[in-house]
Amino acid sequence: MKILIVEDEPTLRTSLADYLRQDGYVIELAANYAQAHEKIKLYQYDCVLLDLTLPDGNGLNLLRTLKADSSPAGVLVVSARDALDDKVLGLELGADDYLAKPFHLSELSARLRAIIRRRNFQGNRHILFQELTVFPDQGQVLVKGEPVALTRKEYDLLLYLLAHPGRVLTKESIAEHVWGDAADAADSFDFIYTHLKNLRKKLQEKGAGDYIRTIYGMGYKLSVE
Amino acid sequence: MKLLAATNRYYLLLAGLLFTIGSVLLYVGVLWALREEVEERLFQQREYLTRAVQRTGKLPNTPFEGRTSLSATPQPVGLRDVLLLEPLENELEPYRQLTFVLPLEGRPQWVSLSKSLLETKDVRRLILQLLLGVLGSLLGGMVVLNRWLARRLWAPFERTLHQLQGYDVRHHQVLHLPDTRIEEFTQLNRALTSMSQRVANDYTMLKEFTENAAHETRTPLAIMQAKLEQLLQLPDLPPAAAPLISDLYTATQRLTRLHQSLTLLSKIENRQFIAAEPIRLEEVLREKLHQLEDFIQAKRLRLEVSLTPVPALPLHPALVDSLVSNLLHNAIRHNHEGGLLRVLLTATELEITNTGPALPAKEQPAQFFERFRKHNMASDSPGLGLSIVQRIGELYGFDIHYAYAPEQALHTLRVVF
Repeated sequence: MKILIVEDEPTLRTSLADYLRQDGYVIELAANYAQAHEKIKLYQYDCVLLDLTLPDGNGLNLLRTLKADSSPAGVLVVSARDALDDKVLGLELGADDYLAKPFHLSELSARLRAIIRRRNFQGNRHILFQELTVFPDQGQVLVKGEPVALTRKEYDLLLYLLAHPGRVLTKESIAEHVWGDAADAADSFDFIYTHLKNLRKKLQEKGAGDYIRTIYGMGYKLSVE
Repeated sequence: MKLLAATNRYYLLLAGLLFTIGSVLLYVGVLWALREEVEERLFQQREYLTRAVQRTGKLPNTPFEGRTSLSATPQPVGLRDVLLLEPLENELEPYRQLTFVLPLEGRPQWVSLSKSLLETKDVRRLILQLLLGVLGSLLGGMVVLNRWLARRLWAPFERTLHQLQGYDVRHHQVLHLPDTRIEEFTQLNRALTSMSQRVANDYTMLKEFTENAAHETRTPLAIMQAKLEQLLQLPDLPPAAAPLISDLYTATQRLTRLHQSLTLLSKIENRQFIAAEPIRLEEVLREKLHQLEDFIQAKRLRLEVSLTPVPALPLHPALVDSLVSNLLHNAIRHNHEGGLLRVLLTATELEITNTGPALPAKEQPAQFFERFRKHNMASDSPGLGLSIVQRIGELYGFDIHYAYAPEQALHTLRVVF
């Protein structure tokens, strides 16, 4: 999986690159419009992570270039602008998703995964983890071939965890991924625990191992050890 | 009242007053002059008769215009007004009479000369008619002239006014007001044009500033958050570091939320939300309540919902979302375990009631809308939710009321459309 990160802020760029490299992606970097333009003209990428505000140009023009070349690459726009109009414009121009700064790295990688999945496998891809098989586009979860009935929230939680095996996911990022803006209505994230408990129980009843670990004070982790 | 009507009123008042005084003076003056004339003629006749009597000893036969009568019995001497019978028309008519004594054939005779005042009556009528006619046509003419002038001369003003009424700084437009023949209007137009240019510039600058500020703070926040997340992933992180990182992480989250709220507030205040589409409030509420299910259940809140379908209101979707979210989040966050959350939507208002911490008696409801004021000092929220609610209310002309019932510690926020 080859990903181009277009981001002018060096520290953020390296963070993104490091995080995604650990996810197993091949990362290329572009620090400005000119570099990014050259790269998308020369090479093919599976996905382009696009910052809109660049020192020497507007990222939306790169998006236009990609679309004009009918590039197969997915585009995830990352912008400091979160005005509704910007989002609508970005998506209308053909971006696959839009994420406003600041964001959780885990959220970004989950969305990236979703884009690549949609683009490359027309939805016919399944996620494997130990005894678990998930067909994201049918919304189906199997444990040792047996279907498990999960609620929407439990399913979202599981998918988010599966996108980041071995990573510590903070409660904040989980809450925001699953509950969106509504997450700030809560004064504690205890409700995540309730859903995770139900999820674990349902999976274990079908014979799956308990892979969801609580990392004290920080969040949760999907791990085999 | 229109400016024209107001000035006309004063003009007409003054003209009417001057004309009345003038008419009265003229009337009295003409009347006096006519009487003088009649009296002078009577005196001339007396003089003539006296001389004739001195010369000939008897009254001459010359018939005077008017009437002459002789009387042997004493009559009051001098001028007076009398009414005499006009034989032809058989009615009394006003006369001016001069009576004097003439020695005729050795005996004093009282001679009365009378002259009709009928002519003066005619003159009087003529004067009145003329005056009224002139006055009426003058005043009428003034009104018509003013109307016409107003239409002609005030036309540029009306055009300016029309443009101003349609002026909206959000559209980045600059007024283009042409110079006119009237100097004052030209000055007005120039002043307005340059003002609108300044306003448009300021507005654009302010907007750019907000956007830049948002951009410049978002990126460092994103960096902080990303680095902290990376730090969390380190395999040999000492256990003591985890809570520290976690606290830092929570702090950046709070900063992010604060930043979002402030950006939203400034955008509302800059009126950057123009686009409106018909929004069905009961649908928004239903959807939000569905999203918040987990949080309501987590606190085991008693939910009472009554949503009457309301005609769609033309609102900005993001703002409605923010309004409803803030009200509901507020009611959930400041609620206690097993408390009440009541959502009531009628055709005229949205009412959200929640149980919550008891208020000290001295707290003023208005203070809740102040920025950074919190119901609960221990809470994580920056206290901007109600400010946002209020700004959105102001933008759309909704009245927002806060009420508190101390017995059950019920807090009620009402949005009246």
